Amino acid sequence: MELIKRLRFLLPLLVFASCEDVIQLSVDQGPPKLVVDAFVSNIIKPQTIRLTRSINYFDSSGSEPGVEGATVLLVDTSTFKIFPFTDQGQGQYVFNPNPATGDTFTIGRSYTLLIASGSDTFVSFSTLHRTTQVDSLMKIPVEGNGPPFITTGCYLDMIAYDQPGPGDFWWVKTYRNDTFQNRIDQLNLAADMGNTNNGLDGGMFIYPVRTGISDRTRSFQAGEEVQVEIHSISREAYYWFLLIQNENFNGGLFATPPSNIPTNIVNINPAKKTPLAGFFCMTAAKPFTYLVTE
Amino acid sequence: MTAYIRSFFFFATFSLLASSAWAQNTVMISGYVRDSASGERLNQAQVFVSSDLGTASVQTNNYGFYSLRLTAGSYNLTTSASGHVTRKLAIKISTDQSLNIELAPQAEAMQEIYIGASRNANTRGLNMSTQTINGQTIKKIPALLGEADVVRSIQMLPGVSTVGEGATGFNVRGGGIDQNLILMDEAPVFNSAHLFGFFSIFNPDAVKDVQLIKGGIPAAYGGRLSSTLDVIMRDGNEKEFKSSGGVGTIFSRFAVEGPLMKEHPLAKDSTKTESASFIVAGRRSYIDFLAKPFLPESLSGSQFFFYDFTAKANYTRGNDRFYLSTYLGDDVFNAVDAFGFKWGNSTATARWNHVFNPRLFSNTTYYYSRYRYNFIFDVGGNRFDWQSYIVNNSVKSDFRLYANSKNEVSFGGQMTYYRFIPGEAEANNISGRTVFGLPDRFGLENALYLSDDINANGKFSVRAGLRVSQFLYLGPGKVYTYYPAWEVGQRRFVESITESKKGEVVAQYINPEPRLGLKYELSKSSSLKAGYNRMAQYLHLISNTAASVPLDVWQPSTNNIKPQLADQVTLGYFKNLVLPLKSKPDAALETSVEGFYKTLQNQVDYIDGASLLLNEFLEGELLTGIGRAYGLEAYVRKNSGAFTGWISYTLSRSERQVEGINNGDWYPNRFDRKHNLNIITQYRLNPEWDFAANWAFSSGTPTTFYSGQYTVQGYLVPDAGSKSRNNVRNPNYHRLDLSATWTRRKSDKWERSWVFSVYNAYNRRNPFSIYFDTNYKDLGQNAAIRYSIIGSFVPAVSYNFTWN
Repeated sequence: MELIKRLRFLLPLLVFASCEDVIQLSVDQGPPKLVVDAFVSNIIKPQTIRLTRSINYFDSSGSEPGVEGATVLLVDTSTFKIFPFTDQGQGQYVFNPNPATGDTFTIGRSYTLLIASGSDTFVSFSTLHRTTQVDSLMKIPVEGNGPPFITTGCYLDMIAYDQPGPGDFWWVKTYRNDTFQNRIDQLNLAADMGNTNNGLDGGMFIYPVRTGISDRTRSFQAGEEVQVEIHSISREAYYWFLLIQNENFNGGLFATPPSNIPTNIVNINPAKKTPLAGFFCMTAAKPFTYLVTE
Repeated sequence: MTAYIRSFFFFATFSLLASSAWAQNTVMISGYVRDSASGERLNQAQVFVSSDLGTASVQTNNYGFYSLRLTAGSYNLTTSASGHVTRKLAIKISTDQSLNIELAPQAEAMQEIYIGASRNANTRGLNMSTQTINGQTIKKIPALLGEADVVRSIQMLPGVSTVGEGATGFNVRGGGIDQNLILMDEAPVFNSAHLFGFFSIFNPDAVKDVQLIKGGIPAAYGGRLSSTLDVIMRDGNEKEFKSSGGVGTIFSRFAVEGPLMKEHPLAKDSTKTESASFIVAGRRSYIDFLAKPFLPESLSGSQFFFYDFTAKANYTRGNDRFYLSTYLGDDVFNAVDAFGFKWGNSTATARWNHVFNPRLFSNTTYYYSRYRYNFIFDVGGNRFDWQSYIVNNSVKSDFRLYANSKNEVSFGGQMTYYRFIPGEAEANNISGRTVFGLPDRFGLENALYLSDDINANGKFSVRAGLRVSQFLYLGPGKVYTYYPAWEVGQRRFVESITESKKGEVVAQYINPEPRLGLKYELSKSSSLKAGYNRMAQYLHLISNTAASVPLDVWQPSTNNIKPQLADQVTLGYFKNLVLPLKSKPDAALETSVEGFYKTLQNQVDYIDGASLLLNEFLEGELLTGIGRAYGLEAYVRKNSGAFTGWISYTLSRSERQVEGINNGDWYPNRFDRKHNLNIITQYRLNPEWDFAANWAFSSGTPTTFYSGQYTVQGYLVPDAGSKSRNNVRNPNYHRLDLSATWTRRKSDKWERSWVFSVYNAYNRRNPFSIYFDTNYKDLGQNAAIRYSIIGSFVPAVSYNFTWN
């Protein structure tokens, strides 16, 4: 898609009369959707599920109202053990795992998400898949020409291996000084060892995945702390992320029709038409922390 | 299949026998209608005979041949053709006779832009939903940058629209751009656009005429659902050498034509003649030279141009005529060290016309046609090189049997072998070289047809035809089977992959395609016509972008992709009005009103977020649905006098229903336009000055807008709401173009003209699309952006010459 998007720059070159301008549009948002943001990992730190409502596309405040007063639970489907998420206000529901009491998630098990909000009950399922870990990070020095272009510093190259056997899907999350790198162009996915579902399996992750932890224009500086987590995700989550990526890169003359991102969360009463969005996925990861040195 | 073949030949043989049985007391008159100045064969000329014994008429075929069956006696024979002086002859025939008729082109001084076929041909003929524009007319319609263009002219006709400026192709009666069969001298072309659609690939200097058939499509044509655009190239002047050309703002053209062998009688049989002629025409754009001073240094070695080259030669000997023609064209965009992009068609055609006897005319064609594109992307040491082709080789034979005074039978067959090379790609980067790509695919399309034009009585005629088409999806290749989608509208995953052997039939489809045309003459100048056609299409253009891009991939029907089918009924009223003008007693208005209703099956659509490029599992991303299109077309055309032109208005709707899109409800197609009005006017002030103006209006096309947004895991997700597909209309499109042509005749041999034109004269900023950007100018904010391809008026001057 990115490839196609670039083609749009051809046209102004060809016809000097073409033009682009920003216009004000009012779009009818319709009823806001209830958004469930439920990516729950097995990492021993507070796990948060967010319930919010979608906002108008042109609302630049960027803050979606939280949905409070809901009951949010995870249930281990084989043992029926319940993991309650407590309402912290502003749509944040938090669970604190505790290995001492056995309140942790187990790889290979599947979990049911249950949400009761108002008169609605929502449900979804996800399996916690095996994970892999970062072996090491390698520094690649970069000589830049300063902002707004590339800054001098280094990129990081992630050395890590896919699990042997096809069917693993990975979401590589990078935290830079404890800040999650959430720009859409930093969304770093892998299907087995490849960046596309091309059948490469079991080896070292290939290049776009390895260097995808770096920010192309803002290279790492000495003293920065980088944490990389390779989260195992479901096949559905992998494609769901690709859809988001597509939607964000979609634009220009050769744009595909905007489409809704599907959700894997269902209302147990199919007659209820509460608009719903979001995703539930159990993930497993082993964080790897690295301090950038001179 | 064999049963079809058997019945076909039975019918054909029966017709032949029947015709010879009735051939006792009658004689045949046959021959070619030609232009007296150039010897060019005139297709769709009207030959009309009358006497006390009655009247009869026939239209010349695409090769200018006619044949009429008459009772021996004396007749007045009237021949007319567009752009030519009508000629009347008194003939007396007692035996079969060959008569070539030459028509003089209308004298330059009194040249009237005579559009369409001859007088009342539109009401008398069986054709409906058919428009013809000749090369001369195309040249008079003001166009972008002063360059006459075939497809842009077609877009001014009723029932034809486009998604917008810069969009490839055209849409006919609510059909997709891949549903038009575009033939250039019988060979199909798969992308008719230069420069993303601003110009078409046909060089107007080499075009004789263009016929667009939108409904009541005769059985001889098949393979696409919505229309046939038959572009007939000129044969080349048989009498004298001539060159012509032009220098325009964006490209230059040059053409040479002339006799290779002047017409002379054969030594053996002086009633027969021998002759040969050729035409060569080429164009090249020079945007790259013009743009050079404006480009940054990093792009200074860039190439941005297109070219095309048409060559054609013919040789006639007695009852045989041979043609060889070729077309080569490419669009090239090369930005040094960034990307390269090239696409183009090439075709080669060999044809043989043979007149067996005055009753039976045949044409046999072999053609090769190839569409190719190549994309190179080279940034920061990462190089990506991708090629894609569609290649086809075809043999076809068409026969026309002038069986008797009541039956004109056409029959024939075609066999086409396709090779699809959807993608051969090579990637080079620091980790090495990777060659990948998609497996080639093969297909064989066969068709047999039989059609009879039955003149039941003077007023009522019927065209009844049947085309039987067959498509074989052949090995070798990988055969994929897919699981059903886990939810409607979602991706389907591969269940198994098997290998097929060379020549193995993986999937086979057979479709009988009945065709019917009816005509009832209400009076000499008015008629009612009705048509029905079923069409089958085995090729699919895979594209889900707002504007079709040259990167779009053609796919055959496979075990997973079913052939598209369409049924269309058309009803029309045709009337010619004579204007009460004393000075121009002949001045007439052709008018017509036609309604159509079309249903479509197995229309290809795409899952949300489909990945279509170089995707081996493409078929899992496809959805199929149904479509419907209906509308009303009104058309008024003035063909003679100093003031000529036409008005066309179309009221129509084109919709689609696909499970998994838009909650499974009907939604308008991307190219749906409710109103479409075109006014084309041309005025000849004097032999030196011609003026032309056209105004186009059309309702905005639908588009899909995001309405909401939310974040998940910190990533922004744009949201389109619940009933989303094509939920909003772009603003209306309208545009005025003006042109003035100043012609100077220096001598008998040398003529030149200057064309001054203004495109989009009142500076309308028509949006091509309004799109969304989730990170406009890296500000991290959502914005709606209006994209106008032509955002201002575009003046242009071009210079044309002809030299005899």
